[in-house]
Amino acid sequence: MTTATLVHTVVCMTTNHSSAIRVEALAKTYPGGIEAVKGIDFAVPPGEVFGLLGPNGAGKSTTVGMLTTTIAPTSGRAHVAGFDVARQPIAARGASAVVFQEPVVDRSLTGRRNLDVHARLWGLDTAAAKRRIAAVVDPFGLGEVIDRPVDSYSGGQRRRLEIARALISEPQVLFLDEPTVGLDPRFRFELVDLIAGLRARSGMTILLTTHYLDEAEQLCDRVAIVHRGRVVALDSPAALLAHMGRELVELRVDGDVSTAVTSLRGRGLAGDDAFAVGATLHVPVHDRPAHEAAASIAEVGLPVTAITSRPPTLDDVYLQLTGEPIAA
Amino acid sequence: MTAVTGTVTLETPTATRPRPRGGGLAAVATLARRRFAISARTPRELLIPLLAPLLFAMVVVPALADTFGTPVGGVDYMTFVAVATIGLLVPLSTIQSGLGVVVDRLGGGLRDLLAAPISRPMIVAGNLVVAVALAGLQVAVLLGAAAIRGAEYDLSASGVLWFAGATLAFTVAMYGIAEVLANRLPSQEEYIAALPAVAIVPFFFAGSFFPISALPAGLTVVGKLLPITHVLALVRYGIAGDNGAGLHDIWGMSNPTAMASLSLGVVALFAVALTAAAIRTFQRTAVR
Repeated sequence: MTTATLVHTVVCMTTNHSSAIRVEALAKTYPGGIEAVKGIDFAVPPGEVFGLLGPNGAGKSTTVGMLTTTIAPTSGRAHVAGFDVARQPIAARGASAVVFQEPVVDRSLTGRRNLDVHARLWGLDTAAAKRRIAAVVDPFGLGEVIDRPVDSYSGGQRRRLEIARALISEPQVLFLDEPTVGLDPRFRFELVDLIAGLRARSGMTILLTTHYLDEAEQLCDRVAIVHRGRVVALDSPAALLAHMGRELVELRVDGDVSTAVTSLRGRGLAGDDAFAVGATLHVPVHDRPAHEAAASIAEVGLPVTAITSRPPTLDDVYLQLTGEPIAA
Repeated sequence: MTAVTGTVTLETPTATRPRPRGGGLAAVATLARRRFAISARTPRELLIPLLAPLLFAMVVVPALADTFGTPVGGVDYMTFVAVATIGLLVPLSTIQSGLGVVVDRLGGGLRDLLAAPISRPMIVAGNLVVAVALAGLQVAVLLGAAAIRGAEYDLSASGVLWFAGATLAFTVAMYGIAEVLANRLPSQEEYIAALPAVAIVPFFFAGSFFPISALPAGLTVVGKLLPITHVLALVRYGIAGDNGAGLHDIWGMSNPTAMASLSLGVVALFAVALTAAAIRTFQRTAVR
């Protein structure tokens, strides 16, 4: 059974109608035959922060687009807050809000006007809109700029405005499509901190896509790693890390990585889960201390320029699952 | 630099938020207020479409009237051409409004509107409301300026209604074209490049400077098929006191009211068809 099949089976077994987000065999093929999403499945229970991880072009944003009804699925089904996104799109949109990957604001308008338009379109009356705007402006550090045109905002301020806008309607489901991409480290840290704070909200479900694995590890209860339009792994960050073993030996190989891994596998020093990134071979170590494994590898006499060991991170899981397989 | 501080106060979410009274109308009003605020902050939408028609009505037309002007259909030449300048102003105004749609799509807030719990044709409706309001304001300014320069209007309640109906339907029709182009053309540059063909060329085949009967026979037929020709005949019938001479050139009938009704029907048909095309195009292109 392949990893993708296993994921599909497990997700279908755990999918139920109380999910805040439920995706079944969802697929999108763009004109020209580009298959962006190839039949993915997952379910997110209410209150969970769920991460979609994957390289550029993996299908993360297309998935968010289908869930927010801004991209039409080719096949499959999806429910948001119990509403079928194809048959009840307005209800699904009413229960959710989205922060898009690229800036989506009216730049010539003030921040307050942007928030007000969103509030009114999501059905808040004048008084409720004012109350909600007042509730988000200061916590998001927008007090000094809220009455200025968005044109004058820094990238971080604009991003905070977009997240504040998404919260105006108190959505049941919040979609954050790479919310911190392009921000400087300080703003990025602040936003991650802010999103972590949103978790305190009872009942709010967050689907987050990101390239930054530390963010996913910090924020997400579970993550799905998406590669070439398919979910290739889905579990909690801790469980995904557990599959990588206790430690990881890294070898910088001066030569053909495939030959090196074949040699190590032949000697029982590397398993099928060894993977390469460029000229660096990563060997998960499951059953003994890493220094022993490193010493054994060094004795093989491969053209290795450096050997180090360290605990695995979610980056390693990601790289292993989204890299090219190494021929044995 | 302002740091993010404090916590966001959030209430328990509800399964579905009750829509405010007015529902769709409230959403259109919100969208129209948004569009108007954007237009007000980018005065080009208000001023640029006015420049050429104002120059035309206040400088070129009086000069033409002084040089060549003889009354046409009982209307002095200054009034005959000045009123027809609406046929230039309205397309320029609506095309300019459509530019805002391109900006929305390429770098504005359109995607957030698409994610809103509203029926998507309302987004087009909100834009249309503002386009009509801006065009109406500009038409009023043009007529006032032309009057200052010597245009004489023959105003009656029914005439003003014919004028207003024709101008409104024409504006809606032209905005339909603008919305279609704004959603189909990939860039602002290509959109602007389409302006002459859509907004200016038809003006010269619609009897703006002379009756369409003065055109070569083939072009007269072309002129009769253009909605702008019907609009110019209607506005002259409505407020310039031409007693239906322009309408007669189109229909060849003797009852001005019947001819005006037919021409208004033609323009209204264009307005409905082009609005439907605009909504269809928007829905097809906005959601990939």
